[in-house]
Amino acid sequence: MPEFSHSDYLAILLSLKISLVATFISLPLGFTVAYLMTFKRFKGKVALDVLVNLPLTLPPVVIGYLLLLMLGQNGWLGKWVLQPLGIKLIFTWKAAVIATAVVGFPLMVRSIRTNMEMIDRRLIQVSRTLGASRFDGIFTIIIPLSLRGIIAGSILMFARGLGEFGATIIVAGNIPGVTQTIPLAIYEYVSSPKGDSLAMALCSVSIAISVIVLVFYEWFGRKMIKRK
Amino acid sequence: MKNVIRGMFFVLFIFLFFTTTVKASDINVSAAASLREVITTLSANYSKIHPDVSFKNNFAASGALAKQIENGAPADIFFSANVEWMDHLKDKGLLDKKNITTLAYNTLVFVGKPNPNIKAMQDIVIFEKIAIGSPKSVPAGQYATEAIKKAGIEKQIAGKLVMAKDVRECLMYADRGEVNGAFVYRTDAEQLAKNVKILFSVPQEYCPRVTYPVALTAVGSKKAEAESFYKYLQSSEAKEVILKYGFMVK
Amino acid sequence: MELRVSAKKQLGKFHFSADFEIKGRKIGIFGPSGSGKTTLVSFIAGFRSPDNGSISLDGETLFDSSIGINIAPEHRRIGMVFQRSQLFPHLSVKNNLLYGYKRCHAIYRKIKPDEVIEVMQIGHLLKRGVSNLSGGEKQRVAIGRAILSNPRLLLMDEPLSAIDESLKLQIISYLKNTCDVFDIPYLFISHTLLEMRIMAEQVLSIAGGYVKGMVTAEELARGEMRNSGGYTNLLNLTGPHRVSDVYEYRWGSQDIFVANNGGPPATLFELPARNVILFKRHPGMVSTRNFLKGVVTSIFDMGTTVGVELQLGSEKLVAEVTKKAANQMDIKIGLEIFAAVKALAFKPLFRSREP
Repeated sequence: MPEFSHSDYLAILLSLKISLVATFISLPLGFTVAYLMTFKRFKGKVALDVLVNLPLTLPPVVIGYLLLLMLGQNGWLGKWVLQPLGIKLIFTWKAAVIATAVVGFPLMVRSIRTNMEMIDRRLIQVSRTLGASRFDGIFTIIIPLSLRGIIAGSILMFARGLGEFGATIIVAGNIPGVTQTIPLAIYEYVSSPKGDSLAMALCSVSIAISVIVLVFYEWFGRKMIKRK
Repeated sequence: MKNVIRGMFFVLFIFLFFTTTVKASDINVSAAASLREVITTLSANYSKIHPDVSFKNNFAASGALAKQIENGAPADIFFSANVEWMDHLKDKGLLDKKNITTLAYNTLVFVGKPNPNIKAMQDIVIFEKIAIGSPKSVPAGQYATEAIKKAGIEKQIAGKLVMAKDVRECLMYADRGEVNGAFVYRTDAEQLAKNVKILFSVPQEYCPRVTYPVALTAVGSKKAEAESFYKYLQSSEAKEVILKYGFMVK
Repeated sequence: MELRVSAKKQLGKFHFSADFEIKGRKIGIFGPSGSGKTTLVSFIAGFRSPDNGSISLDGETLFDSSIGINIAPEHRRIGMVFQRSQLFPHLSVKNNLLYGYKRCHAIYRKIKPDEVIEVMQIGHLLKRGVSNLSGGEKQRVAIGRAILSNPRLLLMDEPLSAIDESLKLQIISYLKNTCDVFDIPYLFISHTLLEMRIMAEQVLSIAGGYVKGMVTAEELARGEMRNSGGYTNLLNLTGPHRVSDVYEYRWGSQDIFVANNGGPPATLFELPARNVILFKRHPGMVSTRNFLKGVVTSIFDMGTTVGVELQLGSEKLVAEVTKKAANQMDIKIGLEIFAAVKALAFKPLFRSREP
């Protein structure tokens, strides 16, 4: 096993950190979107559905480029909101989190939705006759019954986030110690004639993490089935 | 219906196997990214004199190109932006040892938005983000890393370096304002920079001469046109073109 | 309990219209499937709103389209029991029961968990999850849960329809006893006549989206006679005690003897009208254990037969005789008459609890 450099260790830690943070910040919005899509009827529902699922079909570099246009210095969000507030996102780890979150978002929403759609609507009606407000019902009925989908969606999104490359490299750049995740580090090694052994070593780390996450995902799925 | 499907498979077959037409008189060139315009012009000029010869030019970071050639990518002529990658291929026996020479020289500079306070290496530590080519495969990045070490600002710069895949991407980051500054070659800055300008040249004490060796590969040595082009590169016409684009020949 | 409803709604081709006022505590809503019963219930509970109209309960306006009032279901304090128990699958039986209780304001908490658990006899189920309960057990928990939310009105939408035939009587006994013990006013929806007679005193009739009228349960039974294959008397007998092979009960001012067929003695009985035999004079010895004296109060047509309503002390009984027999016996209103009923003719339903 070759010697990992300091920035290689940082790459592994960054991958885990960025993926975790992206998953966490996506949870509230992901849950809300899944809830709206499952339980509410409104104009533009189809449009929202398409928008949410778009990152699944778009090439990640396209997503990265669109994010760059939006959040960069000349972008409409960048120029009118971020710059006046002194917030810089491009080429920071926050941009890496955003890229990872956008790319993985549809996975989370789909997972939660699949679960939510199995919830019997009448349970919510019942809760209201027992005095629970809509909000109360969300916390005491809907969230516990969607927990399976929420956790499964989070695991999936985390796993996808670990492999995020295309969008990240465009909007967050390849900055060792700051935004260089495992895939970006491997990319650098692969271009280098002397980098094969380290590229392979990082690949092994990546595979090992993925295997662990997937094994956990399967175990969790089985545990949930046993409960039923 | 069956016939339609058979027909589709036939077309697919043709498509897959007969898409590339390979002509014997193609010269495959792999060149450092900073040489893009020079090589394009040189090969165009050469084609005017030898109309039956056409070029396939591949521009990227020198290290990446060396790796491609190592892995069997077709290249008859290889232009590198430093000696290291040329030696790497020479040691692997992939070059025609008799036909290696130096083509040109360049200077490493630092570009950024016009700013009178940035005059030397030590001044750049105030910046938040600086682009360099990835030192694992881009000579410009290797030169820059050396310079940073020699100037003693390595610790202060840590975490601020944005890795680019070649020197042109470096310039693009700076031009777009995504970084505060970048290490590129003088020629890149002079030819292409729009929103940034050269703030200072990296002094000789920090950065050795930027040298562009060129070589005929082992594969290329078997091609008469490739050898002929290699010789052409050393002609005075070629030198004129090189000088025109801002490179030095001595 | 006082409920005022005036509501109209158009649902595609179905038009719903209701305009009534009920005062009472045991109200039934009777009608066939698709008649609009569930629509009415959803309006009262607050899940759907009429196109226009108003709904008020005990003087409080729950809905009024003209002034824009529409109180949310969670604030109406109206409990519901559904056809399928709809227990929360992720909560234990105990937490299901307490769900509404916890959300009930302290000042309204008159009914306490221990009492309900005891009446419903679900103490042994408390720690269990919900998925392994039988249908009957689930429904008992559901009823307990609704009652523990201390509602001012309990809506029950066909609560027995999904229960096994063999269990229906048992569940309805729990239902009736609980509502009697805790004195909760209710609206009981069903398309089954017997259930209606057991649970309701007054009945709203619905068909085709229109509320047809308000009758007593008794009048409903009479009206439905032709559909239900004759008339069945429902008797509430009290204070049973064993007398050799029969039980002796009190029925108003009469003593009634019912066969002992093992098991604890019931208090509610069915007695088909055709099992009541009429005598103009006392025949001397009779083989039936029950021989009662009464007066004819009304006579009504039952198609091929005739129903003769008798006043026996403080209670009423209906006997079914052929038209020919009625003519031959010259049965008239005011006629003194004897009714003979075998001890074996009573069909036990269940045992009521004292309120």
